[in-house]
Amino acid sequence: MKKPGMSRRKFLIGSAVGGASVVASSYMNFEAWAASEKPVEDVKVTPTLCDGCGNWCAINVYTKGGRIWKAEGIPIAGINHGRVCAKGHALLHEVYNKDRVKSPLKRVGPNKFEPISWEQAYKEIGERLQTIREKYGPESFFLVQYPEGNAGLTNRFINALGSQNSFSHASTCFLPRNIGWWITTGNAKPEQDIEHTRFGLFIGRNLGAGLQLRQLSDMSKAKDRGAKFVVVDPRFSEIAAFAHQWIRIRPGADLALMLALANVIITENLYQKDFVEKYTEGFDEWAEKVKEYTPEWAEQRTDVQKDVIRKLAHDLAEAAPRAFVHRGYHGAMGTQYKNSFQLVRTIGCVNGLLGTFNQRGGMFFAPKVQLGKLDPQKHPAPTVPEGPMVDGSGDPERYPLTPVGLGLTHAIPELAIQGKLKAGFVYHNNPLRTCPNPARVIEGYRKLDLLVSFDYVLSETATLSHYILPESYYLERDDVVHTHLSYQSKQVSIRQAVVKPLYDTKPMVVILNELSQHLGIGEYFNWTLEEYNQAALAPLGVTLDRLKKEGVIDLGGKWEPGEPHFSTASGKLEFVSSILKDNNMPAMPDWEEVLVHPDPKDPHSFRLVHGKQAHLTHTRSINQKYLKEISQLNDMTKVWIHPARAIALGIKDGECMTISNAVGKGRARAMVTEGIHKDCVFLPSGYGVFSRNLRTAFGYGISYNDFLPTYFEPMLGHCMSNEIIVRVEKTVT
Amino acid sequence: MPRYGMAIDTTKCIGCHSCRVACQNQNGLDYKETFNWIKNRERGVYPSFDKEYIPLQCNHCENAPCQRVCPTGATFTSKEGVVLVNPNTCVGCKYCMEACPYKMRVVDHQLGIVEKCRFCIELVRAGGTPACVSTCPTQVRIFGDLNDPNSEISKFIAQTGALPLRPDLGTSPKIFYKRS
Repeated sequence: MKKPGMSRRKFLIGSAVGGASVVASSYMNFEAWAASEKPVEDVKVTPTLCDGCGNWCAINVYTKGGRIWKAEGIPIAGINHGRVCAKGHALLHEVYNKDRVKSPLKRVGPNKFEPISWEQAYKEIGERLQTIREKYGPESFFLVQYPEGNAGLTNRFINALGSQNSFSHASTCFLPRNIGWWITTGNAKPEQDIEHTRFGLFIGRNLGAGLQLRQLSDMSKAKDRGAKFVVVDPRFSEIAAFAHQWIRIRPGADLALMLALANVIITENLYQKDFVEKYTEGFDEWAEKVKEYTPEWAEQRTDVQKDVIRKLAHDLAEAAPRAFVHRGYHGAMGTQYKNSFQLVRTIGCVNGLLGTFNQRGGMFFAPKVQLGKLDPQKHPAPTVPEGPMVDGSGDPERYPLTPVGLGLTHAIPELAIQGKLKAGFVYHNNPLRTCPNPARVIEGYRKLDLLVSFDYVLSETATLSHYILPESYYLERDDVVHTHLSYQSKQVSIRQAVVKPLYDTKPMVVILNELSQHLGIGEYFNWTLEEYNQAALAPLGVTLDRLKKEGVIDLGGKWEPGEPHFSTASGKLEFVSSILKDNNMPAMPDWEEVLVHPDPKDPHSFRLVHGKQAHLTHTRSINQKYLKEISQLNDMTKVWIHPARAIALGIKDGECMTISNAVGKGRARAMVTEGIHKDCVFLPSGYGVFSRNLRTAFGYGISYNDFLPTYFEPMLGHCMSNEIIVRVEKTVT
Repeated sequence: MPRYGMAIDTTKCIGCHSCRVACQNQNGLDYKETFNWIKNRERGVYPSFDKEYIPLQCNHCENAPCQRVCPTGATFTSKEGVVLVNPNTCVGCKYCMEACPYKMRVVDHQLGIVEKCRFCIELVRAGGTPACVSTCPTQVRIFGDLNDPNSEISKFIAQTGALPLRPDLGTSPKIFYKRS
């Protein structure tokens, strides 16, 4: 294992971690050790934003002798309160990953790439795009991205090209969650004051793996103060280990449980009458509706005893209004089941019954920072093309509630096959691995006349792209000003370069500035990042220099409990929604069956559910050696199965299982555990990388997308990623 | 003089491994080498099913078997009660690995020595806390002075009755676990 030259360890010890002066006071030979080493090298600290997942936590990154060393959290940051997770620490190393794209690439054959100059890449992309525009029009262009941070720039880019087809990962992640909360409360992402709560209920939300560091830190403080947390999940998730009670629910039945909670709270008169009277719309109608959804009714569907449901309702009501049912993310109320949208609506409404909005320890709407814009006289903004997206998002006839700009990313392959999409740009996204049924996705993306990826490694999607324009790694680039750290007060923050780019890569803003000159849309990018950021900060009274020095600035504007304000049509929390009524959709939260059920008579038939692990995110993190080692050491690619079902199939813990359905087939070893409902097997996500250019991750584990048919939920069009039935059997060797 | 120790509340641990990588970075360890682990253990049948995540690392024993067997004196206890290894005198004989009843010593292949958790002593001496403590999202770990009855850790141990692992071995570890 001895490495040539200076090892990282020697290098760090050589620079006497933290400075020789502090260790010099120790006895025995410790002084000699410290003194004999090389002089302390430059330790520099740069505040910036992590890029390990979508949270973008504020971190101080330390360099030593110009090399990235470690990160510490910035304590005032409202999103991480000074904490950093395993991804945040480990992905620092990625800057030195050998798999990185080192210059613009042109694909010259299957998995064959030729380094080219930026100028040549811009020119060729410009020419090809012009040909496509002449033949098919700009409505055949699209962008797929992870819509954060630089989304303002990338949307400007695709709009300037004359297309409104800006896709995000929403339809495979959070779509119903956002729309459901927006319909119910007028705010797509209400926060919860976890730190001061008395009781928190989590429906499928696993904060212990889909990490949100501030919420975890608040949960820890609340637990010390005696708060109680209950987790409802088909499997014993990481946050269930933290919580006081785990309720093992049948997958997809969370809606029945929530309706029954509403039933108990209403019929037993446990709801907050003042709140319901003043701040809600349509209570009587919904109260009538939920009468039929008794705990007895729910017991059959959820596999949760009626007494447990009653007790849960009583506990919630007793703690209200200092209680919440968590707003959720992907699990249960994300794009998982056909009834996920109804579930989010019901959770919003139950929070309404409990009167938790704008209460200490309840739900609230985080203060928002309004950033300034570039002077439109000097820097004209492109007109946003009108009308729905090519996939039907925003179309009154198809998916009226799915916003333009989020779109249905898993519809792209089909649209490409139909010839409606011809040229694509991919930024911070990897649809080949994150969309259902990869074979079909590959087929679709292959049909495109032009695919350009802005990526720092050759992900599955980048490997299929005609051109790869490498964005500098997040530790090497400056980005736009961000406001996403705002929690209970307004905060601005910025990502900035910690080290100079190691290779011939550029920040996204520079790539867009230069590329736009070759695409005839240079007028919309006639400014520098500096100017853009200064314009953004202008209304806040904060200088860019100060922000760069401090990384995060708190602007005050602290949230205080009080009267809630809902920005719905009625100005109230809507049990009965006028928007849904207008669109001929169920106006009240109501029971809806899931799409598919495992066959109760077939011992091989299971629903396949998935979820994150805390040290991984999406698809790129497993290519990081420090993170993959955690998976390997702890054997974390195993698929969970209930002991009774495993015995019936003759499968013992650690044995190999073959999982298959019409879409795909794969093998994984079994983790036989009581910690999962009998109806399902659990497959951790973040594995199954099939790009050979990600050498650490390639071929390790499988992904749920390999088994997921391409569905479009009728109302919003999301991918219903837990509506998978698989056949599980012992692998015969 | 302080006598440093750590308390670990396993009821708060979610097994996220933030501590592991924070430690690796702080100490410049290769990806395969680590000073801390998280084991998990399942018990019971639903509805009383439970899973416990247990962070493990060097216990900084008062009566450290690894120090006793070290032929070169490379393993030593600092004045703050932190068990450390002098990389200049360690010859990599691995006696300590055999002697440690908790199996918490690790070969550092880059230096050819046997290392272990160092309580991030240089951070602590500069007034900070170990990397695993400051990064933990759920504040599982409390670090502090066991000699000071008013320190957070002393109070925590007094209130919760947190115990070291295998106290029967007579090693007097300085890491205390609250496990229920």
